[in-house]
Amino acid sequence: MHIPDGYLSPSTCATMYAASAGFWWHALRKTRRQMMGRALPRLALMAAFCFVVMLFNLPLPGGTTGHALGVGIAAIVLGPWGGMLAVSLALTIQALFFGDGGITTLGANCFNMAIAGSLAAWGIYHLLSMGSTAMSRRRLVAAALAGYGSINVAALLAAIEFGIQPMLFHDASGAPLYAPYPLHVAIPAMMAGHLTIAGLAEALMTAGLFGYLRRNEPALLGLAKSGLAKDGLATDATPKTPRGLWGGLAVLMLLTPLGILAGGAAWGEWAPRDFADQAARAQIASASGNHAAPAAVPTGLSKLAGVWTAPLPDYAPHFVKSAAFGYFLSAIFGVGIILGVVWLAQVFTGRKGEGTETDTAEKSEERER
Amino acid sequence: MHDLQHNPESVTLRTTEFEASDLHFAYEGVAALRGLSLNVREGERIALLGANGSGKSTLLRMMDGLLFATSGTMKFRGQALTEAALGDDKFALGFHRQVGLVFQNPDVQLFNPTVFDEVAFGPLQMGWGRDEVLERVNKALEWIGASHLRNRAPYRLSGGEKKRVAIASVVVLEPDVLLLDEPTAALDPRSQSQVIELLGSWNDGRKTIITATHQLEVLGEICERAVVLEGGAIVADAAPQTILNDTALLQRANLVHIHRHTHDGVPHRHSSPYLHHEHQ
Amino acid sequence: MSAHPVARTLRGFSQALARTLVSEDAAHARGLLQGIDPRVKLVGMMALVVASALSHRVDTLLELLAVGVGLAMMSRVSLWSLARRVWLVAFVFSFMIAAPAMFLTPGVVVWRWGWLAATAPGVHTAALLVLRVEAAVTLSTLLVLTTPWMWLLKALRTLWVPVEVIALLAMTHRYVVLLAETANQMFESRQSRMVGRVKGREQRHMMINTGGVLLSKTMAMGDEVYMAMLARGFRGEVRLLAEFRMKGRDWLMGAALLMLAVAAVVAGR
Repeated sequence: MHIPDGYLSPSTCATMYAASAGFWWHALRKTRRQMMGRALPRLALMAAFCFVVMLFNLPLPGGTTGHALGVGIAAIVLGPWGGMLAVSLALTIQALFFGDGGITTLGANCFNMAIAGSLAAWGIYHLLSMGSTAMSRRRLVAAALAGYGSINVAALLAAIEFGIQPMLFHDASGAPLYAPYPLHVAIPAMMAGHLTIAGLAEALMTAGLFGYLRRNEPALLGLAKSGLAKDGLATDATPKTPRGLWGGLAVLMLLTPLGILAGGAAWGEWAPRDFADQAARAQIASASGNHAAPAAVPTGLSKLAGVWTAPLPDYAPHFVKSAAFGYFLSAIFGVGIILGVVWLAQVFTGRKGEGTETDTAEKSEERER
Repeated sequence: MHDLQHNPESVTLRTTEFEASDLHFAYEGVAALRGLSLNVREGERIALLGANGSGKSTLLRMMDGLLFATSGTMKFRGQALTEAALGDDKFALGFHRQVGLVFQNPDVQLFNPTVFDEVAFGPLQMGWGRDEVLERVNKALEWIGASHLRNRAPYRLSGGEKKRVAIASVVVLEPDVLLLDEPTAALDPRSQSQVIELLGSWNDGRKTIITATHQLEVLGEICERAVVLEGGAIVADAAPQTILNDTALLQRANLVHIHRHTHDGVPHRHSSPYLHHEHQ
Repeated sequence: MSAHPVARTLRGFSQALARTLVSEDAAHARGLLQGIDPRVKLVGMMALVVASALSHRVDTLLELLAVGVGLAMMSRVSLWSLARRVWLVAFVFSFMIAAPAMFLTPGVVVWRWGWLAATAPGVHTAALLVLRVEAAVTLSTLLVLTTPWMWLLKALRTLWVPVEVIALLAMTHRYVVLLAETANQMFESRQSRMVGRVKGREQRHMMINTGGVLLSKTMAMGDEVYMAMLARGFRGEVRLLAEFRMKGRDWLMGAALLMLAVAAVVAGR
């Protein structure tokens, strides 16, 4: 899922950098406020931890192996803002030193895995664990699903970024200049591996680490008192008002069409019809490029692929076929998922303006070790 | 209670640096300090003796204004070290300039990417000018004999080198008081004596040095006054030789014991109390 | 061999990790790139990476790759290690994703293997992808290899990267090796207590438990590091000593790299 340099057009990269920058800026501002930079070493160490967790090749049921990103547990322990910074740091070190993920695509990779991943994980965890006791099974399942969801949201966003490339960027003859597979190929190919293996690895790792911390370090999870997440860093990082979050997402959605203004291509020019019969082959081949793909992809997926193009039939109004609209639509689609989850979490947990008193609670957390 | 008050004439003339009275500290219901009182005067070299969990590290961190008592007061030169006082940038900077703490685990202390940056961290926080920072850092590195290590990553240093760099990173600020948490633990004998020599050469007779340790064999070299802690309270305060001769006290404070344990599954017995060291 | 594959992989990895992250041999060699101001190098090399991402032509990408090879040779970076560490990995990874495009893109068939038919635009697309990855990775790796990490971080200040981010990157980098080694030691001590063949399930449990211990150590260490920072006067604001001074040669190299990048962008359209 680490997109290398050259797979995304520079305009897409710039858009994704801009989108990520908004979140980074906000997250840093929160961090700066948190007790005089107390969060800094925690973030750095969590980032280093995520990096090391990516080296754990976890044996999975069924004989395969996969590795987790650590975004699930990072978001649960540090909250969505701390989580996105920690995972972004880990991804940056990976890109710089190991060429795992490109430098021009770092913005996109961080957006998918660190930012959207953290928000999704945090939202899912809080939504599903709401009202449950500290040691309940539901809370553990919530952690597992937070890991699973975060990875899949990230994969879906990456697939969308891949999938819009051939529509927007190709030469005069129609040959794609960047990632060559359209949405209806990229999405199933990407998701096949992540809905199964990578998602499972992240789910198991998140739930396992969560279970360990719950038994041994409940304070880290904000579960120390009365079984409810009311103190500790996890809630400290809870957005006091969702306004910042909404603002960030709005900016992101507004920015997306800017990407294509530079590209200037038309939706539908590069029709998927030429690929329809070969879609299954493409899935298998491109899936092998993603570490976690299974040996065989069911051929039925090619039918499923039609789902993605179906919403835009031939008789749709002309503006719907414009590149800008398609791009925008994709952005709304991807962001909508995160947005929905976070919104539901906000609504159901019913927290408003809490967290100001946690600063003092946190100081008592310091101790001798 | 062994109350062996050690009070040489020469020391009474000097000003009081730290004044701790009836300190209590608890974390998550577990008490780390229980009614500890202690006076430290300028130029004193004191050893805090105690087994793991006796409250030595907690006390040092309170003296450095990093932890705050649940009840009781800790004063430095008459000023109470409260959370509010340390929240003030001006006071905190001045205080940390005067009182330095070397942590037990050098990996905690060495968080910068290179040795040079490590030693420069403190001076830069103090807001000193570029030339002064460079000069002081170079001087400190030369003093610990690590000028050749300046561009190395802490990861690549040996245990003794790490410890020396950690000391340099604190001493570079030229504090009046140096707090040391187990400075010789987990070092080979040669590195141990290097560190002790280094600390000896730093003290010009007016510097206050407080060393937490459980290693009795270094006691004579690092202090003129030894304070024994047990369960978060002081059980003895005397000249090092007096403490070393009191076997009953040392055994009770868990500082010497002849005990049985295993190393990698092989039963092993310590014969000498002076060989006591930490076990994983 | 008694070691479990898990621990073996991690041990190999933590050593490789340490080598890659900490070794600055190439950065201290006397070569062309090592001699120029890190800020110039950062901006110049990034411009070349962006130029390769912008390029739509195979020949331009080949030229950029040649620039990379030339810079590597003049900077005494071993081409062999570059090939092993960068070119091979990038090729395998990008080719796997790019290869199907050769057969899926509609156009004139240039090559046929039974039912597989490669088209001219398909081959062009695949070549573009692979070459672009190679060029970008070569150029960015050269930057990292020829610049001491701390200098690179300080140079990032010129690209408006906030000083906290630089401190965070520095600390992350600093603790990755330590944590990897700790994890490795924990695996080794745990596996010595496990007898016989270990099933996947047990292995997974062992790894997750190790991860848990590592995570709580990690967070505890984070708090200790914070205290150590406070103890030396940290007040929430990171300060760095920038020691860079621009020389004539730096301006010259900067202009040269930027000119190359602009030329590549123009030629690659």
